[in-house]
Order: sequence, then structure tokens, then C-alpha cells
Amino acid sequence: MSLINKLRAALAAAAMVTVAVPAVAQQFPDSVVERGRYLATASDCTACHTNTGGKPMAGGHVISSPVGGIVATNITPSKSFGIGTYTETQFADAVRKGVLPDGTHLFPAMPYTAYAVMTDEDIHALYAYFMQAVTPVDEALTAKTDLPFPLNIRLSMFGWNLLFANAKPFVADPARSAEWNRGRYLVEGAAHCGTCHTPRGIFMQEKTDQPLAGAQVGPWFAPNITKDKTAGIGSWSHDELVTYLKTGRLVGKAQAAGSMGEAITHSFTHMTDADLSAMATYVLDLPASPAGAVAGGTRFDQGKAGNELAGFRGEGFAKGMKGPKEGAQIYSANCASCHGYNAQGTTDAYYPSLFSNSATGGPNAANLVATILFGVDRETGHGHVFMPPFGGQPNAVTSLTNAEVASLSNYVLKTYGNSTLTVTPAEVQTIRIGGPQSDLLLMARVGMGAGAAVALIAALVLLVYGLRRRRPAAPAPTGV
Amino acid sequence: MGGFLQAHFDDENATRRQLSEAKMKLPVSRRRLLIGSAAMAVGYVALSTSPAFPAAPAAAASGEALNAKFMRLSNLLINHRLSPAVGARIAEGAAADHKDMAAMMDQIIAIAEQKQARVVEDFFEDIPAGPAKEFAHWVIFAWYSGVSSPKPDAKVFTFEEALTFQTTSDVVTIPSYGLSGPNLWSQATVPLSQMPRF
Amino acid sequence: MVTKNNAEVVVIGTGVVGVLIAEQLLDAGISVLMLEAGPRVSRAEIVENFRNAPLGLKGDTSVSYPPAPWAPHPTGPTGGAHDYLQLSGPDSYAQTYIRYAGGSTWHWAGTSWRLTPEDMRLKSLYGVGRDWAFDYDTLDPFYTRAEYKLGICGPSNPEQQWPRRARLKPYPMPPLPFSPGETRFTQIVKELGYNNIPVSQARNSGMPYDDRPACCANNNCVPVCPVGAKYDAATALGRLEAKGAKILADAVVYKVETNGQNRIEAVHYLDPNKQSHRVAGKLFVIAANGLETPKLLLMSKDDRNPNGIANRSDQVGRNMMDHPQLTLTVTTKEPFWSGVGPVVNSGIMETSQGAFRSEHAGAYFRYNNFARNRFVTFAALKKGLVGKALDEEIRRMTACTADIVAAHEILPHPDNRLTLSDKTDWLGLPKPSIHYDVGDYVRRSAEVYSLPIGKKIAAAMGATDVKISPKFAQSKHIMGGTIMGADAMNSVVDTDCRSHDHDNLFLPGGGAMASTACGNSTITMAALALRSADAIVSQMKGAH
Repeated sequence: MSLINKLRAALAAAAMVTVAVPAVAQQFPDSVVERGRYLATASDCTACHTNTGGKPMAGGHVISSPVGGIVATNITPSKSFGIGTYTETQFADAVRKGVLPDGTHLFPAMPYTAYAVMTDEDIHALYAYFMQAVTPVDEALTAKTDLPFPLNIRLSMFGWNLLFANAKPFVADPARSAEWNRGRYLVEGAAHCGTCHTPRGIFMQEKTDQPLAGAQVGPWFAPNITKDKTAGIGSWSHDELVTYLKTGRLVGKAQAAGSMGEAITHSFTHMTDADLSAMATYVLDLPASPAGAVAGGTRFDQGKAGNELAGFRGEGFAKGMKGPKEGAQIYSANCASCHGYNAQGTTDAYYPSLFSNSATGGPNAANLVATILFGVDRETGHGHVFMPPFGGQPNAVTSLTNAEVASLSNYVLKTYGNSTLTVTPAEVQTIRIGGPQSDLLLMARVGMGAGAAVALIAALVLLVYGLRRRRPAAPAPTGV
Repeated sequence: MGGFLQAHFDDENATRRQLSEAKMKLPVSRRRLLIGSAAMAVGYVALSTSPAFPAAPAAAASGEALNAKFMRLSNLLINHRLSPAVGARIAEGAAADHKDMAAMMDQIIAIAEQKQARVVEDFFEDIPAGPAKEFAHWVIFAWYSGVSSPKPDAKVFTFEEALTFQTTSDVVTIPSYGLSGPNLWSQATVPLSQMPRF
Repeated sequence: MVTKNNAEVVVIGTGVVGVLIAEQLLDAGISVLMLEAGPRVSRAEIVENFRNAPLGLKGDTSVSYPPAPWAPHPTGPTGGAHDYLQLSGPDSYAQTYIRYAGGSTWHWAGTSWRLTPEDMRLKSLYGVGRDWAFDYDTLDPFYTRAEYKLGICGPSNPEQQWPRRARLKPYPMPPLPFSPGETRFTQIVKELGYNNIPVSQARNSGMPYDDRPACCANNNCVPVCPVGAKYDAATALGRLEAKGAKILADAVVYKVETNGQNRIEAVHYLDPNKQSHRVAGKLFVIAANGLETPKLLLMSKDDRNPNGIANRSDQVGRNMMDHPQLTLTVTTKEPFWSGVGPVVNSGIMETSQGAFRSEHAGAYFRYNNFARNRFVTFAALKKGLVGKALDEEIRRMTACTADIVAAHEILPHPDNRLTLSDKTDWLGLPKPSIHYDVGDYVRRSAEVYSLPIGKKIAAAMGATDVKISPKFAQSKHIMGGTIMGADAMNSVVDTDCRSHDHDNLFLPGGGAMASTACGNSTITMAALALRSADAIVSQMKGAH
């Protein structure tokens, strides 16, 4: 580096420091800041805006999507690289309308359609928190959002917003209890449950007539969480739902992984019991949907204990891997140490049984396959739950091929889960690369004339929400 | 496995208990009723938590009859619930080494029936010393150890379902199978007298 | 840069030492080719091999690891290679180790006792053995790094730590809970004045570490951890490849080639088709374990090195060491219950230290925590019991028997020597021949020190019967064959584990250890590996 260049670098660094020093910061009361901190947690801002191993809210996390990487931005109060120059109104427009001060439209990977219900008071608290309690990070992002044409036309979001982004700040329903209203406010707003759990229409908009009825989101399936007794979670008590949100686990029924595991880890487990109770009250009051019902009961009571060990024990591994017992052999060798040779789990139920388990008993096999490939990583006050991934990650203890995962899944489904389902190696590959791929990009390029098509493409971005923290081991096709 | 699961589910919440009752309960008293009955093997499958165990590979009708008789004999010699799938493996191994197995089984079963035996202690002393008694001991050996002999070249019938592990299942894990959640295995010394039900 | 015939650094052996060094080099931007004699086998297969083995063989660790014909390693009587090691002398050096990708950490217990400062100065303090060429403080930072690389759990209470000395950093994870038997044992020996402390061990305690899951107490650390909660080098292989390493399995290195400057120019290996291949590099690391490494050096003798490579001192293959051990199998009246938690989880280390070391060896005592059904079932069945009496006898024998092991240090002796046998293996390569005598230093300890302590402990446990193993058994801690020292005429490697004779040849690992102390050798081998890695990186960077 020449002397001139060194000088330049030093000057630039000095300039950055100067810029970074905030003007006399507006002093918000601690109570408001803390309320904002809580809302930021409830909204799970960190899930996207804090990169793995990175500084809080400094962005840089690449949200993989079937069509390209979207980079979460720096939302620290840095005046040069973050949101330090935003007025409260500009902040509110970004959060609730997806519009930046310069008029740029955000992609709806940012769930502004949900955050739109936030009250002015809560937006104020969030603003106070970000401006006053988040440490400014004066660093440029190394990665840039780079979507292919026409997905890179942010203006296309304008039309989509006209059609679908019509939520207004929350107004309480006086006919309902305060708890119900609080629950609705959180579920539709900060917690943005519908982003994953509500199925989407042809324009990828949430189907408002089928709230929380279940949808595929990337490699994971966000199941029906309506109050339907068989297809939904109507068989759960209110307290059980609160327990699930607090711990990510309901013994003998279900456990959170994937995006839900992250939502539990970063957000729900830190919320107050009162708020979790309010959310449960509202969710369990939504209309029942029969979508995704499984035969002969609920997704929580499929399958039973048992084993096929007598088919290969003592005969040698190679022999066990040939023929009809292959799935049982793979199960024994890779899964049974924790889940038990009868899939009964441990006696303390820490390692769950695989029967009576929504991961194996659901209406499709996506969550079973995704769990095998990506594992489980969930941290709450109740400990760090970690099932290792088997999906070929560089640091994976063991990696299974698509054929092996299919064979294993079919054994588990037949014996312990929804026995009407089967899985092919090609379907495993689909989950491995991040879930069902879309040909919307092609459709969009063909049908560029139609504004609706553009809206369609942009809306596709919504799909990626559930992919937001997926580990880079299963890269999106465009390579993020 | 029913007893094993039942024991731990007793500590769980009501929902979990319901689950266990619906799916996993096989009261020990029921076993007594079934001892000595040819219904035993059928009863195990119907009531157990396991799916229908596959019979021995390509079992001919005679093979199935042999297996049924072997299970009946085994249920007389061992006061615990036994897996027919493991039984089929042991019977297969026994048939290879004991040409007169069918006759010995008939002899032992007849002695038990004559004594109206409910448990092995009711008739075992009455089996005369000789090949039949040795065979009875071998059958017990195979179910408890999961193998045909202590030798390095022994046939392996089962590992996980060898009954030796059931005698200590309240404390000790079957090696290679997890015992509890991370660092949750602290426990006080358990008395010898609390034999697990299995 | 790396091909199957060439890399900047060629590492022979994919065990813990080779893997640790390879990763440091890769992180420094140096290309690495790893050559492994044995096959690359999935964890799934090894786990199922254990379960498929007859109950009578489950105590034989090699039963889960059938050797490949081209890469024989010692096995039990039915493993097909029980005569691979040609043994002679008053004691038997019948070690077991594994020639598979990942090496012998596949079946180690994970025990990670450090040496003490005194352990490294036996000659100065007690007039026996050898001093190390550097002191404990030199090794300390490398121990710490090794503990973080492997993921070692251990106590935070200094009273419970070994050695009793301020640590540079806390252990990365807390200790694991004790089994009922370990708890009772700890209380009993406390009354005798001994502290049974949590072993520092390479096992994920209460949490995942390095993307490996937490220990679930499957009590199967030996012969294989089914879930990878115990560190083994095999868990690193995929990561190394992601970082650019090339790993060739089934590549049996049989010759090290020198050039006119007597530097290492290449190595040659045989594949399973008995075809020979030449691999060139700038620098070579032989980390093939304390037995195969000296064997390879001796096999590679040439005109410039008539005693073998790196053997100007004639010390290659000499000073073969281990931790000779004696087991007391104790039957008690009251139940102890082993088998809850990992197989080795605690130990008494202070009995390894003292002025007595001028006269005899110290010893480390441990309560083995293996589930005991596999050891007692046949004996219970042999009693002819049936029904309730049989159930009760198996339960009693499982709960009321225990193995107390006394592991001794041993002194380096030139006559404890590995040479090349005239018998050959499947590839036609010479089998190793080892002459071994534990020596009076160890025998005297058993007589006047370790067994008396062991018997005192057994009595305090309420033993109704004590069976003592009739001769010293092996601990499979292979040390000394490429011993480290400052004097090139009396040692094989320098303080970086670099060959005195060839400046681009490193021989890190247990072979370099100048004293054994009583604790297991792996964490010291790992620390030496990281020290070597630093030296290799600076040597490679300087060379460019």
C-alpha cells in the first residue's frame, strides 16, 4: 500500500468516525426504550438483521430464496450505513409500508404487511429502542441483494402493495376481551404468524379467508394451527399452546424446528406469559380449517412403537442395507441411539418418540425430511435442543444420501408416522435444496406485459420468509 | 416394552398418560392369564405397542407351527413378555443345532401342563436331567443373552431385546442407546429389590 | 494446488494428530494431502458392528472395526489380525489401535488428563527417566487450544481440576454428572483421603459443541460414540475436505524417499490392488500412531539413512511405552451401579505424584463406568437359575460388581523396542515386532503402592470378593517410539516434533513423549500436534 493510499484510508476512517458520532441523541425514557426492545424481540427483527456471528442488527444475513439472495440491511442507528438519519415517520413508513425515505420499496421478505397493524405508540417505542439502545455499526455490507430481472424491479412492489398490502394500524374490537385483542394484535402484527402458516393465493398473497390453515415454506411445512380438532391444534389446551410457544415443545405431540425453532429461540421464549396467553387465546379462536387432515386421527397420534431388528440383527451391516430392511437398518444405525430402538424416545421424553409426533404424523413428509437433513437447533431457558443435521453440511457428524433419507423416511412413516405417505429420493433432493422450486421467474419473464405477473414475482419473495435463517449448507440455486 | 414405557409414562402429565393407556398398556396380570395358552403369541401382537412382527423369512406352514410351539415353550420357561420376532430367530437357531427339538418341546410343555404351571418355578424342577433340561436351559440362555453361546462365534439373535438388560432397565442403559436428556441422568442409588416389570 | 500426487504438505495418518495439524495448515492457506492406510467407514456401520457382535465379544473394542486386508491392525482372537503384532519379552505389548480414516479416537474413552509440571521433570526431580526438552508452561497454551479444538468438559472448581494449577482459560464445558456408583465411590475414597475428581473429557456436556450433539449417556464411548458427542477425528474429515484438503483412504505408505540433501522428497504408498504410487510435497508429517510411525521410518532405510529415516540416534522404535494397568474386579454387598453416563467419568490423580517416584511408579485409579450386563450375564446364567431367581442374580451382579483400574506410569527404556519382523502382512510389508518389559519401577509400584491402595479401596467399598488381574494389561496409549529431546544423538525429534535429521519431516504425537505420567496420552498428543502445526506454518511461510 502506497503512502498516499494509506493516507487516504486513514482520512476515510477518520471521516467515518466523525459521521458515526451521533448528534446529541434524543433522550427517550428508559421505559419506552425497554418497551421497544420487547417489541423488537416479539417481532424477531434479529432473525434476519443479525448475521450469524455478526453484530446485532448490523445486517448482512443473506435470505436465500428460490430466485436469489436478499441481503438483510443494517438497521443500527449508524448515520452512514444504518438508519441513524431516519425520522420517526420515515422509520414508521419502512416498518409498516415497506417504503424507504428515498422512495425505494422493500421486498416483502420484510414482513411489513404484518407490521402494518402496529400502533403509533409501539412504532414510537421501537424507534426509541433502535435509536437509543442499539449500538451503531459503521460498516458497509459485503453482500448485496442481487435478484435477476425482472425481480430486481422494486417498483413492481407498488402494484402488489396496492392489491394486497392494505392492513391498517390496529383498532381494538370493543366486543372482545382485552386479552383477545392483545392476542390478535400480536399474532397479526409482531409475531406475523400468518406469514408462514397462512396459505397463499395465486398472487402469493395470504388467503385472508383461511388464516393459519397451513402452508409449505421453503423446506419446512408450517402446519394448520387453527382450532380444528383433527386437522389443527384444537386438541391442544390453551395452556399447552402457551407451553409450546415458551419451550418449543409439547411432549408426546410436537416440537419446533426450522423457522419455528428460530422464532421460539429468538422471540417467543422471551415474551411474557401474559402475551403468550393472549396469542393462544386469539389463535384458538380463529375459524377451524379442515385443511391437511390426516386419516384416522390427528397428526399428533399417528404410529406406534416397534422395530424390525429381528430382520437383520447379527447378520452384518452390509446385509441389512440390502433389501426391504434398509430403512429399518438406517434408522437403527443413525437415529435409534437417541430416539430408541422402538422409536419410543428416552424415558424422560427429552428425546421425543417418533410416534405420536407431528413431525412424522403430518399431512406431508416435508418436516420429517427437513428435520433429517437440517436437524433441530432451538435454545430456550429450558436448554439448548440440538439434533445434528444429516444433510451433507461440512461439519455434519453423519451425512445421508437422498436415497438413504428416502428409505429412512419411508420406514419411519410406515412404522411410526403417517403410513399413507411415501417419499422419493427426488423429493428429498427438493427439500435438500430449500423446498419446492418455482417456475414463476420464467412465467414472469414471459408475461412481462401483465402488471399482475410482476406483482406475482415480487410476491414470491414472501415465500422465502421461512428460509431466512437456513444454514448455507443447502444453498439456493443462485448460490448465496 | 409396554411395561417399560408404562413405568415412565406414569410420571408424565395426564395427556401423556392417556396416550400410554390407549397405545401402550399391557397389564402384567394379563400375561398371567395368557401363560400356557396358545393365544399368547397372537395376544402379544394384538396388545403390544409393536407393529406385527414379521415371521421368520419365507416361513413354511411347518416353520410357523414350530415358531408357535417355540413361543409357547418360551413363555412357559420365562415369566416375561417375549417378542415373537426374536423368538422366530432363536427357534431358527435352535432347529439348526437340536435335531430333536420338537420332541423336547413337547416333553417340556407336557410337564408344564401336567403341573398346570403358571410360572417357570412351578414346573422347572420336574424336567428330568438330560437333553430336555439342557435344552430348556439353552432356551433361557438365548432369551437372556440374545446369543447362542458365550463363545466368539456365537449366533446373535438379538441385542436390544436380550432380557439381561430388562433386569436393570430402571438404572442402566442398553449400551449405545441414550439414557436421558443432556446431563439429566443424576440419580440416587436404586435398591436391588425394585425389579422392573417386563 | 493439491492433487492426489502432490501438495505443499503431505500428512500421513488421519487420526487426531494428523487432523489437528491439517486443519491449522488449511486455515493458514497451505494445501494438504492426507494419506490414510485404512478404509473410510461410516459411523453407522461401526455402531451396527457393535450391536451385531456376540455378547461375549462386546468387550473387545476391535470387534467393531474389522481391519482391511491391506491395513491390518491388532484384533482379538476372531478379528483376523490377532498375530499382526509380533510380541516378545516378559510382558506383552498387545496394543489395539485402528487403521481407519479417523484413527483410534474412534474408540478412545475421551479421557483428557494433562501432564503436571513434575511429570515433565522426572530426571531432575526424582533421578529417573527423562526430562522433557521444555517445561509445562511452554505446553500450557497448546493444551488450552487443544481443549477448545476437541471440546473438553471439566470442572470449574480449581480443587477439582488436574493439575492443581491456575488454568489459562476455563474448560469450554462443565463436567458431566456422576453415576450412582461413581458418587458412592467418590464418598468412600474421600474417607480414605483420596479425591475422586471429574475427568476432563472430550465429550459434549449438556450442550452441543462444534455442531456435534450433547452426550445422551448411551454408555458406549468405547467402542464408538453413536452420536458423535465424544470428539473423534472422523468428525473433522468432512470439514477438512470443505476447507480444501484431499483425503486418500486405502493408501498404505510403505516408503519415505530422501533426496541428496537428505530432505524428504516423496512418500510411496500401495493401494488395495498392490499398485504403488508416489506422492511429492514440500513438507511431510507422519502421524500414523506411535507404533506405525516408527515402523514406517525403519522400513524406509536407504543408503543415506542405513538405520532408517530420522534414526541417526538409533532411538527410532526404542523407548516404547504405555500405561501398564491392573484391574481389581470387586464384588460388593450393596449396589454401586455402573453404566450411567460415559464409560470413564472420574479418577484419582493425586496418587500419581510424590517423592516416591524416585523408587517406583505412581498410579492413577479409576472406577470404570461401563454398564456391566455384558460382563456378568453369562456367569449368572451358568448358575442354572430360572425365573425370579435368575432375574435377581443378573440384577445383583450388574449392580454389585465394579472394576477399579490402577494405571501406572512407565519409564523410557531403550530395550523396549519395536523392530521389523521377518513375518509379512497381506501387502508383503513387515509386521511390527515389539519386545516389552514393564520393568522393576512398575512392578515395585504394584507390589508396595498401587495394589495396596487398590485393596484398601476395595475393602472400604465393602468388597466380599476381589479379583486382581494376574498380569499387566495394556492401556493402548502408545508412546516413546520417536522420542523428543534436545540432544540429536539421544532423541528422534526436536521440541517442535521435527526430525533432528530431516528438517522437512515432522513426527508429532505420542511417539514424541519423553515421559508417560499416569493419565491418558491423547490430550498431550493433541497439544504437541498444535505446537508442530505452528512450527510447520512458520516454516512453510518462511520458505516462500
